[in-house]
Amino acid sequence: MIQKCVCLVFLVVLFITTILSLDCNLLNVHLRRVTWQNLRLLSSMSNSFPVECLRENKAFELPQEILSSTQPVKRDIKEVFYEISMQAFNIFSQDTFKSTWEQKHLKQIQMGLHQQVEYLEQCLEEEENENDWEKMEEDEMEHSGAAVPQLGNLELKRYFNRIKNFLKDKKYSRCAWEIIRMEIRRCFHYFQKFTELLGKK
Amino acid sequence: MGQDSTVLIMNPLPSSATLVLIGLMFGILHAFPDFSGASCTLKMTLRNFRSILSWEYKNHSIEPAHYTLWYTIGSRYEEMKIVENCTNITRSFCDLTDVWEVFHETYIPKVVGFRGNTTLTSCTDYFLLPMDMSFEPPEFGIVGFTDHINVLVKFPPAYPNIIDQLLYGSSLVIEEQSEGIIKKHKSKVHGNVNGNFTYVIDNLIPYTNYCVSVYFEPNSQERVRKSPFKCILPYPGQESESSESAKIGGIITVFLIAVVFISTIIILKWIGYICLRKRFPKVLNFYKFQAWIFPKLPQPEAVDMVEVICVTRKKKVWGYDYDESDSDDETVPRAIPSGYTTHGLTVRLLSQASAASVTTVESQFLDPDAEEPDLPEADPSRPATPEPGPWQSEGTSGPYQRRESPLQDPTSEEESKSTEGSGDRIIFNVDLNSVCMRVPDDDSEEASLKLSSLPEDIVHLEEPDETESSLLVASGEAVQPPDSFSSSECLWSEDAPSDKSDSSESDVDLGDGYVMR
Repeated sequence: MIQKCVCLVFLVVLFITTILSLDCNLLNVHLRRVTWQNLRLLSSMSNSFPVECLRENKAFELPQEILSSTQPVKRDIKEVFYEISMQAFNIFSQDTFKSTWEQKHLKQIQMGLHQQVEYLEQCLEEEENENDWEKMEEDEMEHSGAAVPQLGNLELKRYFNRIKNFLKDKKYSRCAWEIIRMEIRRCFHYFQKFTELLGKK
Repeated sequence: MGQDSTVLIMNPLPSSATLVLIGLMFGILHAFPDFSGASCTLKMTLRNFRSILSWEYKNHSIEPAHYTLWYTIGSRYEEMKIVENCTNITRSFCDLTDVWEVFHETYIPKVVGFRGNTTLTSCTDYFLLPMDMSFEPPEFGIVGFTDHINVLVKFPPAYPNIIDQLLYGSSLVIEEQSEGIIKKHKSKVHGNVNGNFTYVIDNLIPYTNYCVSVYFEPNSQERVRKSPFKCILPYPGQESESSESAKIGGIITVFLIAVVFISTIIILKWIGYICLRKRFPKVLNFYKFQAWIFPKLPQPEAVDMVEVICVTRKKKVWGYDYDESDSDDETVPRAIPSGYTTHGLTVRLLSQASAASVTTVESQFLDPDAEEPDLPEADPSRPATPEPGPWQSEGTSGPYQRRESPLQDPTSEEESKSTEGSGDRIIFNVDLNSVCMRVPDDDSEEASLKLSSLPEDIVHLEEPDETESSLLVASGEAVQPPDSFSSSECLWSEDAPSDKSDSSESDVDLGDGYVMR
C-alpha cells in the first residue's frame, strides 16, 4: 500500500516537474506568451500618461542595432532575452512605493519576469551541458568573429544602467516611474521580434 | 423543513472611527493627485487600413468646440510637435497614418480643447502602436451559391508600410456559424495583401442558414473587434446575391423610369402644354397596309399641259380696211353682230412645243382693258375646217375672218385679269369646265390640242354648220379627245361658276350645241 502511494506521488511529482520544466525546444512559444503577458501587465498598471511628466522625459537610446546589424544565432537570442529579463526584474524589484501602480499588478509583473529569467537560465544550462563541444566551437567563432553577443549584452547593460540612474536622479518619483514603465514596454516589444527569429531557426 | 429566521444584528462602528476612515480616504486621495489626467479618453484604431486617433471627453457638459493635436516621441526628449491636419478641428479624431510611421516607437499625443480662444482642457497618453492599437474589422461581402459561399474581403490595393507592419503576423479570421456550430478560418497576414480576396466556404448543408463574421486577430490576441454577422440561406437554384440584387434593382429602376415618363406626359397634357391626338393621322393608318405598300396605280390617262395664251382684242369697228399695224398696236376685241366681244386665247401645247402650231383658242372674255397679245389674223386662204376655234359662233352669219367679239364670261375675265403677266404670253389656269376648246380633226386621236404657230393666226368663227372641227370637251377629270361630230357642243360642267346667272344677258344659243353666255 505504501509502495503504491510512493509510486503515485513520484509519478505526480515527475509529471508536475515535467510540466513545469517546459521544453526548451518550445522556447519561442513560451517566450512569446510570457512576453505578451508582461506587456499587458505593464499597460494595465496605469490608465494614462500624466501630462506634467512630459517635461521630465529622457532619451534612453535603446540599442536597436542588436537586431538590425546581424542575424543572431539561437543562443545569442536566448542570452539577449536573459539579460533583458534579468535587468527588468531588478528594476521592478526596487523601491516602487511612490508609484501609483496597484500592488497586485506590480507583484504579477515581478513574478512574470522572474519566471522568464528562470526559464531562460534553465534552457541555457541545458544547452551548455549537452553541447559542450559545440559551444567551444561557437566560442571560437565568437572570439574570432564579430563577438556580437558580448557587444550586445554590453550595450544592453549600459541601457539599463541609464534607466537605473534616471530613477535614482529623479528620486523614484511618480513621473520617473511612469517614464520607465513606458520605456520598458517599448524595450520588451522591440525584442519580441526575437521570438519570431527563434521560431524560424 | 421549518422556517429559519435569521436575525442580523449589526454592530454599528463607532462614529469616530468612521470619521477617521473617511478622513484617511480623503487624505490619500489628496496625497496622490490624479495622475490620470484623463479629462478625455484617447483611442488608437486601425480603421479602413488607416491609423486613426480618436478622443472622447468624459464631461460632456464642458465639451470643447475645437481641438488641436500635438505629439512627441517617447524615446527622445523633444518639444511637442503640432499635427497640421488636425489643427483647430471640430471632429474628434485624426488620421495619423502618415505622421506616426515608426513601428516600435512610443508616441505621446496631446489633445487640447478650445472654446473660442479659451483653452478648456487637455489630455494625453502614450501609444505603442503594435500594442495599443485596436483593429476594426475589414469590409466584406458574402455571395451564396447552392453548395458554397464566397466571402469577399475588401483590401485596398496598397497601404503604407506602417500598416503592413501592424498587420504582419496578425490573423484574418472568418467565423462561420450555422445551427450553433462555430467554425473559424484563420489566415495569417504575411506581407502586403493587395486588393480584395475571396474565401470559399464549401461543404454546405442545404437549407441551412449560415452567418459569417470577419475580423482581425492581432498578435496579442486582445482588442479583437468582430464585425456584425451577415447571414445567408443557400438553397438549390439560388443565384448569386449580387446578380439577384442587381436584377431587382434593374426592375425597380425601369419601373420608376416608366412611372416618371407616364406621369410627365399626363401632367403636360393636363396643363395643355401638349396635345395628344386621339386619332392617328391618315398617314399612319396602317389598316390599309396593303394598299399603302402597294398603292393602286391610277389608270393611265392622257394628260397634257396646256399653255393658254389669252389674247385681248379691243373692240374694233368693223372696217374693211385691214391694217396689221393696227392690229399689232391695238388689241381690239372683235365685235360680233350680237355685241359680244371675243378675246382670243392662244393655247400652246407645252409637250409639243417644237412641232406644234399655236392654236388660238377664243374664250369668252370681257376684258377690254386687258392687254393681251394680238392674235394673228386668220389666213383667209386656209381651209376653215381644221382650224380650231374656241367658239362656234352660231349666231353669226356667214364666215368671217375676223376675230369674234369676246363674249362675256366673268370667270374667264377674272382669270384673265389675274394672269396679266409680262410678255406676250400669259400662263394661267383655265377651268376647262367653263371653256370650250376645239381640237382639229386630224389630231383627234391625240388627247391634246394642236397648236398652230403663232398667235397671229386668225381665228375664224365659222358657220356652225360648216364646222367640222372637233371640240375639246372639258370634263372634270380628264380632257378627252372629242369625237368629231357635226354638231358642236360645248359642254359645261355643272360646277362652273357663273356670276352671270341672273344677268340680263340671256344665254345665246348659237346653234349646233354652242351656247354663249
